[in-house]
Amino acid sequence: MNKPIPKQYLLLAGKPVIIHILERIDDIAEISEVIIVCHERYRDLLSTYISAYMLRKKIVFANAGTTRQESVYNGLQKVNTKLVILHEAARPFVKKSDFETLIHDENENITYGIDIPFTVLKTNNHYISGNLKRDELINIQLPQKFNASSLLQGHQMAIADKLVFTEDASLLFHYGLGAVKVVKGQPYNIKLTEPMDLLLGEIIYKEFFAGRD
Amino acid sequence: MKTCIITGAGSGIGRATAIDLSFKDTFDTIVIIGRNLNNLDETYVRMNKKKDIRKIVFDLSNLRGIPDLVSEIYHYNDRIDCLLNIAGTVDPQPLLNTTLENMEETYTVNVFAPFMLIRECVKYMKNNDGGAKILNVASTAGMTPRPGWLSYSSSKAALISMSLTLSEELAEYKIKIYCVSPGRCATALRRKLAPEEDPSTIMQPEEVSNVICQLVSDEEQCLDGQNIIIRRK
Repeated sequence: MNKPIPKQYLLLAGKPVIIHILERIDDIAEISEVIIVCHERYRDLLSTYISAYMLRKKIVFANAGTTRQESVYNGLQKVNTKLVILHEAARPFVKKSDFETLIHDENENITYGIDIPFTVLKTNNHYISGNLKRDELINIQLPQKFNASSLLQGHQMAIADKLVFTEDASLLFHYGLGAVKVVKGQPYNIKLTEPMDLLLGEIIYKEFFAGRD
Repeated sequence: MKTCIITGAGSGIGRATAIDLSFKDTFDTIVIIGRNLNNLDETYVRMNKKKDIRKIVFDLSNLRGIPDLVSEIYHYNDRIDCLLNIAGTVDPQPLLNTTLENMEETYTVNVFAPFMLIRECVKYMKNNDGGAKILNVASTAGMTPRPGWLSYSSSKAALISMSLTLSEELAEYKIKIYCVSPGRCATALRRKLAPEEDPSTIMQPEEVSNVICQLVSDEEQCLDGQNIIIRRK
């Protein structure tokens, strides 16, 4: 986003982006601990935030990798529970109930997804190279829940195969390590990517989060 | 056990509010804070003893002591439901007589102490199921120019701004921020600002406390996030 610090530490509605998420997790009894994957140089800053906001959940840090996949793998190695929920710090518009829906679903592997309202085509060398059927596609949205050992196994297989995936439902699917259920996500659960997203985010926050659960 | 903290409870609007609130059903525990034990005792004598009343002698210029103060109050009932920042100070001086110390002392009590109290209380309030309320007593002096009252009027302007900002910042926690700006009111502070004025001719502290009690009652849900002027027409 051309900002000097990563977007998860920027302020949204007067509060660091990542704290929006950590506060909503804080009183979910079924979540035993939170593993934050981040670069070592941000641990002190995060610890300061966690202390200032009086967060009560046990926090464990894992080192960020050079790719998203490597970061997830580093975090997975710290997991000591059967199930793990993955979330992205740049998606602050997640509600406590979104996590609870995943937790209470009987499926071990489950992700949010929303319909794609536009056309997506394959390209090669600046020319259309293939059509995709929009009604067969889904825009994957975090958070997601997985069987932790299955996902760890998938990551180890991907490392061995030198394959890189941009998210984890596709990795699990690729290696046939379990069916992944898709439940409908929320259109406001956007990922802060572009500078404009912070402006949109202020509106989303006021409309869907301020003064609400 | 719903708990309310009142600063400046040893005199003026703080005392009137403490007495008034003790006869309402809104809170079970009322913590009255003031610098002077004799003044707090006088407030206590007039309060409804059916309430759980705690007297705490504390000088708000001791900013670094505020986290422990709030922590101790919280752990008494394991909750804080309401904070009333009523304590204030004034030393009216023209600009060229205004020392840095004057400015610092005024801002310490009128701005920094409310900030510290709010920050520390919010650490606990944000986990309340039913939210919480914070009310700051500013002044009409914070809204219009008052030559000769530089430190006081600018500090109250800061408190009004702080209230409006926090009203938005804390909305997600269901913490409502109220700000009231009384006009001329017969208090010891007013006597410093207008020593020649007959206090019987202006608004009384009980009239302000009446409004404050209405705002912090469970019934009031719509007047937060704005600067409410209290004055006789």
